[in-house]
Amino acid sequence: MTAVPGLGAPPAARGGTKAAAVRHKPRSVLGYWRLYLAISPFYLLFLCFGLIPVGYSLYLSFHRWDGLGTMEYAGLSQYRYLLGDAQFWHSLTNTLTIWAMATLPMLFLALVTAVMLNSAVRFKNLYRFAYFLPNVTSVVAVAIIFSSVFSTNFGLANAVLQGLGLDQVAWLNSAWGIKIAIAMLMTWQWTGYNALIFLAGLQTIPTELYEAARVDGAGPVQTFFRVTVPMMRPIILFALIVSTVTGLQSFTEPQVLLANTNNTSTFAGGPGNSGQTMVLYFFQQSFDNNDFGYGAAIAWGIFLVVALFSIINWRLVQRKDA
Amino acid sequence: MKGMKGTRARGLSLHLSLIAGVLLSLFPFYWTIVMSTRTSTEIFQFPPKLLPGTHFLENVRHLFQNIDFFGSMANTLIVAASVTFLVLFFDSLAAFVFAKYEFPGRRLLFVLMMGIFMVPAQLQAIPQFVIMAKLGWIGSLTSLVVPAAANAFGIFWMRQYMRGAIHDELMDSSRLDGCGFLRQYWHVALPVVRPGLAFLGIFTFMGQWNDYAWPLIALINPDHVTLQVALSQLNSVHGTTDYGMVMAGALLALLPLLVVFFIGARQIMADLGKGAIR
Amino acid sequence: MHLSRRGLLRAGLATTAVATLGGTTAGCSVPSGSTGRDMTLWYWTGGLSDKVVADARTRFTGVSLKPAQIGGYFKSKLMTTMAGRSYVPDITGLKGEDMASYLPNAGQFVDLRTLGAERLKSQYLPWKWAEGCAPDGRVVGFPIDTGPVAHYYMPAVFDRAGLPTDPADVAREMNTWDAYLDAGERLKRKVRGAYLLIDALTVYQYMLAQSTKRYVDKERHFIGDGEHVRRAWGTAIEAYQRGLCSKYQSGTPDSNAAMEKGLLPSQLGASWAAGDLKLTVPKTSGEWRVAAMPGGAANNGGSFLAITKYCREPEQAFDIIAWLLNPANQARGFTDATLFPSTPASYRLKAMRAPDPFFGGQTTIDVFGPAAQKIPVAYHSPYDYALDQVVSDELRNVNALDKNPARAWKDAMSKCRRIAEHMGVLI
Repeated sequence: MTAVPGLGAPPAARGGTKAAAVRHKPRSVLGYWRLYLAISPFYLLFLCFGLIPVGYSLYLSFHRWDGLGTMEYAGLSQYRYLLGDAQFWHSLTNTLTIWAMATLPMLFLALVTAVMLNSAVRFKNLYRFAYFLPNVTSVVAVAIIFSSVFSTNFGLANAVLQGLGLDQVAWLNSAWGIKIAIAMLMTWQWTGYNALIFLAGLQTIPTELYEAARVDGAGPVQTFFRVTVPMMRPIILFALIVSTVTGLQSFTEPQVLLANTNNTSTFAGGPGNSGQTMVLYFFQQSFDNNDFGYGAAIAWGIFLVVALFSIINWRLVQRKDA
Repeated sequence: MKGMKGTRARGLSLHLSLIAGVLLSLFPFYWTIVMSTRTSTEIFQFPPKLLPGTHFLENVRHLFQNIDFFGSMANTLIVAASVTFLVLFFDSLAAFVFAKYEFPGRRLLFVLMMGIFMVPAQLQAIPQFVIMAKLGWIGSLTSLVVPAAANAFGIFWMRQYMRGAIHDELMDSSRLDGCGFLRQYWHVALPVVRPGLAFLGIFTFMGQWNDYAWPLIALINPDHVTLQVALSQLNSVHGTTDYGMVMAGALLALLPLLVVFFIGARQIMADLGKGAIR
Repeated sequence: MHLSRRGLLRAGLATTAVATLGGTTAGCSVPSGSTGRDMTLWYWTGGLSDKVVADARTRFTGVSLKPAQIGGYFKSKLMTTMAGRSYVPDITGLKGEDMASYLPNAGQFVDLRTLGAERLKSQYLPWKWAEGCAPDGRVVGFPIDTGPVAHYYMPAVFDRAGLPTDPADVAREMNTWDAYLDAGERLKRKVRGAYLLIDALTVYQYMLAQSTKRYVDKERHFIGDGEHVRRAWGTAIEAYQRGLCSKYQSGTPDSNAAMEKGLLPSQLGASWAAGDLKLTVPKTSGEWRVAAMPGGAANNGGSFLAITKYCREPEQAFDIIAWLLNPANQARGFTDATLFPSTPASYRLKAMRAPDPFFGGQTTIDVFGPAAQKIPVAYHSPYDYALDQVVSDELRNVNALDKNPARAWKDAMSKCRRIAEHMGVLI
């Protein structure tokens, strides 16, 4: 082992080529019975509690229903209405903006944190505990704190800005302020979670690779980009896809930050609907307005967006191994 | 190796950044503790009191008077533990198949699973409720455990983890030794993916512990609910909620999670000796 | 700690077995449609007085009353259960703002007239009773509480602004919206940093609530651009343009601090809003009074009890409801859970006439009682909520984001029409 892998050496050590994976190929499909049996518990449950409810929501999107009465067939009208619904498209751009502002920095931060956690040997219990907490702290506490932090006159955020000689920002009262606040809340909440994901992934990298890099004279930054990142590719892909899927469907963070009682819906997303993500809009239409058929159409619209971005992200990160 | 000063400076900045992160993450938790030791009116005071108060025991007493805290916690424990066990077992098994084996329909099945994973789940309550009603599971913990065992997230995670952790050489050598599928799973795969399993275990447990929306609908009998549903009963509508009590409940509900986390996190970093040390 | 795979496997199998097998028998309630003398009652925490409900359990021995307090998403739980058509409760609470969506589906509930509701009708506020009735006259909801709106104010701050301080004087001099806004200007000039209104939405919502019409009429025609809406919108915009509206969002530290300092000395709110005041600005206890609101009487909030069609003993259920909601028990609801009664007879009871120290010893029932009785009967369509959201959002854009009011009105109306058409309203 001389050269630092990831630069050109064939990934023979990883789950790469198909030929190495299976030696004996059974002649018929039935020969694979052990494999099918292994995945069947999941797929049986999946059929009942995954596929059927999803099929139901698809069915619902072709109807008009207020939740209590009878369902009326509506053809494609819910989807046509969706295409022309400015508020939906607005929620889409909100979601994408917030997601871009939050997810990408957050993933990078999580990776760096994981690497640091991996090397810091002292106080590691404290660090692990602390980084885990944001994900389990009660939503009520988080809501109170973050709306205080972003409060116009008394918040920490403005205190910091004023300390730096800048103007106050009406965080929760302005279109961009709201988005930034939500992005920061999302980053705060999910960095530790993703750091733990990456930390687990870091355990799969053999120490020999780091030794070889050190012998070759690579510094920490170089090692990070040449050894750590390529070896973590499957895990990074996972974190990116899951962050995409959950991030584009976020609703707890914006709802919690912007639910106040000025006689408007908790799903409205603040002034100008600036913080209204797609799922928040879905809730508004389904549960506030009792428009479940339209809500189902929105849900499938969300699905298309999520699938599109997931595929894009998958293509970007995935290389040869399918 | 660079000079001593370089290493120490790097170590110092490392610790400083980690500590900054720790403070940011800890503060809301600290705030939860403070709020659980104060009365409702003290909580909403401005400027807020940052030190713990003296009302913790009183809040806890009110909490126990208003809801069946330990009963609902026991229910939640049963649900979370069962789901975690099922998920760890089924998902790692299925993920192993997807990660290391070729078979007809593999791609299709995987895409189907990921596809369903991407559909927003909020509308699924109604058909799920109907199915549960027909099966007679409404009101029982079974209605919470069984659907949660089918977890695409878990399979996706373990598959990715296994692709990274299980080297082909291990697979080949075990096959040469005559191991069949099950033995490979038990003897080759599981030992190597312990950190991945630990992570999945922690977050499955946590997800089930904090789950609220579906248990609210599925558990009809108010005397037989999970912890989050019981705690939600404390939230009154018109400004009469006792927030001190609510936060005390939130704090106590958090503690078992921390225990689980510590157990699991040690497994994630159990092989720290083998990991990279500078 | 050493965790062996085998050990975990054994432990896991054990707990799963407990959950899946043991769970089926533990504490299931009897599903609708089978035998049993259970009567389930669903309500949200604070929706009824717990003590009264407990008394009902002991009093009505013919059935086994099982009350269930549902915290959180009450409506989605109820609707999911009803859509699933099983385990539906016998008696359920229905929130006032949701009534409009339940009434078109009156078939899901028992018509209380068939159980003798008519003979009790005279005990309840007529507009409240009407709100619980479907368009064809079926009585779906039995009134629980109401939310008569009044004017909470701080006399000390009013005094500094040269405004009247006695509740009767305040009510008399600020009896119209114009007079109220004029007072707001005096307040702005005399007290630095003070605002009459927390936002323009307050004016709009309550002016509309004082009228008898909303966005859609009984024949399903869109009337959202009618005179009543225009007037409410216009007055709200006027309040904004005269600088009488703050940019605070209620419930934030900013607004709470402002209230404590006396910068938001005037709050229009329902009877239950007193609870919010007491929680958020307790230091100002004794510095508030209550007067009748400008422009007439309005209602905000309140709910009903209904009997679902799945109930197997509707007569018993009705007896329970009628008892829970008689004037004496509604007075208890007020003292126990701040639920303002819908039975005028309660207002005379001693329990309701206790002076409130937060309001300097004022007997607030003297304001809320008459207000509750003057609230007009209005028609609420199932489409009102969605259309109201649109207009409210646009008004908020004007107030918080300084959007051009004329454009906001145009946008609001075009969006309203689009949504109304989508929901089946005749434009």
